[in-house]
Amino acid sequence: MKSMAIVIRDDSYDKILTPLVFAYLASAEQTQVDMLFVNWAVKALTVEGAANLRMDGRHAADEAMVRENVAKAGLPNDIYEILKALKSSGCVNFYACSLAGAIFGVNESNLIPEAEGIVGASWFLNDKAAKADHCQYF
Amino acid sequence: MSAITVTTILDTSGKCCPMPIVETNKAIKGLSLGDILEIIATDTGTKKDIPSWCERTGQTLLSMTEESGVLHYHVRKDR
Repeated sequence: MKSMAIVIRDDSYDKILTPLVFAYLASAEQTQVDMLFVNWAVKALTVEGAANLRMDGRHAADEAMVRENVAKAGLPNDIYEILKALKSSGCVNFYACSLAGAIFGVNESNLIPEAEGIVGASWFLNDKAAKADHCQYF
Repeated sequence: MSAITVTTILDTSGKCCPMPIVETNKAIKGLSLGDILEIIATDTGTKKDIPSWCERTGQTLLSMTEESGVLHYHVRKDR
């Protein structure tokens, strides 16, 4: 697998971990990973949004335990720190969906510097997802 | 069988996926061709992950042993 595209919609702390971990693994094999953040997940591409990610619903009460176990596993338990680690691999690109940005309040002024930019979903689907060896949706 | 001469040891004990693979990848980058990396791991997921990673990245898994829940891998850098 030379390339992988990932679309992330779920923005709760626990659910966003899986695509980030998959991207981390792929980057360790020099697989090029392009990630599009849509819907509420686009907020993860801001410093404040990444810091405010929480666990939802019936799992909310377990958040402290999950964060502690994430740290024990060796990962940063802060989402922004994970994003920075992924970026430093040199194999992972983050893109914010332009519609999601407009709806949920992410723009060039608050987008994290590790993100490639705000893009149209059509471009991502045609130029990244359709051309990738593998595509995942979360 | 000749003895394996280890160049570097990477201890990932206590850490879980994806960190053993991520750290193995970082460690192997710092080695020269022919060097041997010993990876110590306690994550049982590495039993599949390390051989798969070696195959995909062109490295050679020389050995894999387990004792009292601790896994030892010897990987030769070939690429």
